[in-house]
Amino acid sequence: MEIIEKIKTNQLINNQTEIQKICLHKLQSSPIPNPKSELWRLSNKSKFSNFLNYSVNEKNSKFDIPYPENSQNSIRLIIGENCKIKFIKENYSIQQLSEDELNKYIKDQIACFDQNENWSDLLNLSLSSKKNFLGLKINGSKIPPIEIFSHASSNSLNAKTLVIILEKNCDIELLQVNLGKENSSLSQSTFFVLEENSSVNHGVVSYGKNKSNLINSLNVIQEKNSSYNLGSLHFKFNYARFEIRIKQSAGNAKTNIKGMQITKKDEQISTYTKIEFNGPNGFLDQINKSLADDKSHAIFEGSIIVPKIAQKTDASQLSRNLLLSNYAQIDTKPQLEIIADDVKCKHGATIAQLNEEELFYMRTRGITLLEASKLQLSSYFQEIISFIPVSKDKWDLLDKLLNEN
Amino acid sequence: MQTKMRESDPILEVENLFASTENLPILKGVSLTVYPGEIHAIMGRNGCGKSTLSKIIAGHPSYNITNGDIKFSGENINSLEPEERAQSGIFLGFQYPIEIPGVSNLEFLRVSTNARRKFLNKEELDTFDFEELVKEKLELVKMDHAFLSRSVNQGFSGGEKKRNEILQMALLEPKIAILDETDSGLDIDALRIVASGIKKISNEQTGIILITHYQRLLDEIEPTYVHVMADGQIIKTGGSDLALELEKKGYEWTDNFVKET
Repeated sequence: MEIIEKIKTNQLINNQTEIQKICLHKLQSSPIPNPKSELWRLSNKSKFSNFLNYSVNEKNSKFDIPYPENSQNSIRLIIGENCKIKFIKENYSIQQLSEDELNKYIKDQIACFDQNENWSDLLNLSLSSKKNFLGLKINGSKIPPIEIFSHASSNSLNAKTLVIILEKNCDIELLQVNLGKENSSLSQSTFFVLEENSSVNHGVVSYGKNKSNLINSLNVIQEKNSSYNLGSLHFKFNYARFEIRIKQSAGNAKTNIKGMQITKKDEQISTYTKIEFNGPNGFLDQINKSLADDKSHAIFEGSIIVPKIAQKTDASQLSRNLLLSNYAQIDTKPQLEIIADDVKCKHGATIAQLNEEELFYMRTRGITLLEASKLQLSSYFQEIISFIPVSKDKWDLLDKLLNEN
Repeated sequence: MQTKMRESDPILEVENLFASTENLPILKGVSLTVYPGEIHAIMGRNGCGKSTLSKIIAGHPSYNITNGDIKFSGENINSLEPEERAQSGIFLGFQYPIEIPGVSNLEFLRVSTNARRKFLNKEELDTFDFEELVKEKLELVKMDHAFLSRSVNQGFSGGEKKRNEILQMALLEPKIAILDETDSGLDIDALRIVASGIKKISNEQTGIILITHYQRLLDEIEPTYVHVMADGQIIKTGGSDLALELEKKGYEWTDNFVKET
């Protein structure tokens, strides 16, 4: 792993920014994550090595966005391409954070990092150049939907960082799309702050091509009375990790998460979530679905942390998994860590195959086995897809998925 | 029993059928012939093989035919897939209709109807044309249009599920319909609606097999023949009087019959 060697000898990046220096210094003490930790023990070592085997590339090649042209009703941003962003309208404003604001915010975050838990962010912040670092401050109302794209170029490792501070009483719809080119690695870290009374419908869609890799880290801080809805979908990556860390900083906030990962061939895609309630009356409703075919491996590890201060928390975490092949593997581990005594928390996991009685029922109505399987899968996907804020007429994700499965 | 004279060929012929699942024999030599316009009632205790017979005719992959033949319109269908049987005109109404969350009833009905229409060389229907057709059929089973926008059978009451089965039968216009305990779980009004739907759909060209435990469905739909099944075989065949006799005598005698034979 050439990158690790370069980190150790501090030869990875020239002209390092202050953030890069701090992160590289931290990484030098433990350049790779602890393979025995819960977060990394199931991670495929050779695929992880493959992620790190490409050389770091700060440049961005042109790529085709799988969307029709930008409509007037939405704002499209491409990390690494939009140099200056400033939308100041009557009802709202979207502005870039200044370098000082960005540095201060990131430094505060790094101060709270756990070396192993935030390894992906440390790597990302070590590699992400100023150009690939997008910080936004959003306020106001009636904000058009925002689309933000990240991508990796072929035969390289690209790191992109996104920081969004959503100011008080603000309400947005954000679709984040991570695209992997053939033989590429993308490190994407997102930091999201939802101030009081703000609300987000956040969609994260990540899909790759042959032998593309992704480490996607999402850090969300929710202040009180904020509402965060996340719909995510990851598919077609040789190796992908989606790490979600959400903290309700003072409780009294709502979090809804509906995520799905689809693995085929010998792919490995994993989702790790850590939801912390740091105050009372927090709410969480989470469902994570995996669908594993061929010889692939899907992993879900979720933890919900409810300390004593988080009384009256109402949290639910469900992992639903579908195995489509005898050789595919699914690991799932939803967990609760509860100290508070007046809470309502539940978790559960199921692993099943396509329901044969449902298939037979459809076949007795003249629907072929293939069509019946598609209908069944479509119903499995629909719950998640419908939660992703993406306009159906622009991008029919369900059709794309069904045609590829 | 009086045998009727038939002018046409049989729709369905089950000949000395033996079948098993996981090496457990279930059917032990069933023979049954259905001609167009006939209604056959099959009665018997739980576990005697009635539902298994219906599933095997429909092509359930969990059962193996170990001996005998099933012929539909003169052709052996032992090796046909369930969808091929359905497309050619075999309909199975389920005792427990399956819920399919996330699949809209309307789309499910449209895809099914078009699969059958394609087999019949009829033009496939788009959403608008299909809506017109389905509206007309909904009347037969007194179902509200709102059922179409819900997921297949999800959240339907027992009666609504059974009416949805009959709606599917009406849309698919089968040559033979096997209705597995369509009367179970229905109150008297729902039973009348379902029975009236079946009568309106059936005609001189279709055959119907009613699997039931009770006389009450047969009060609404008079069968041409009544068969009694026990231990995987048809042990007695008669006219509609046989059902009345069963209602009085119960099924205990069928156990003795099996023991003796």
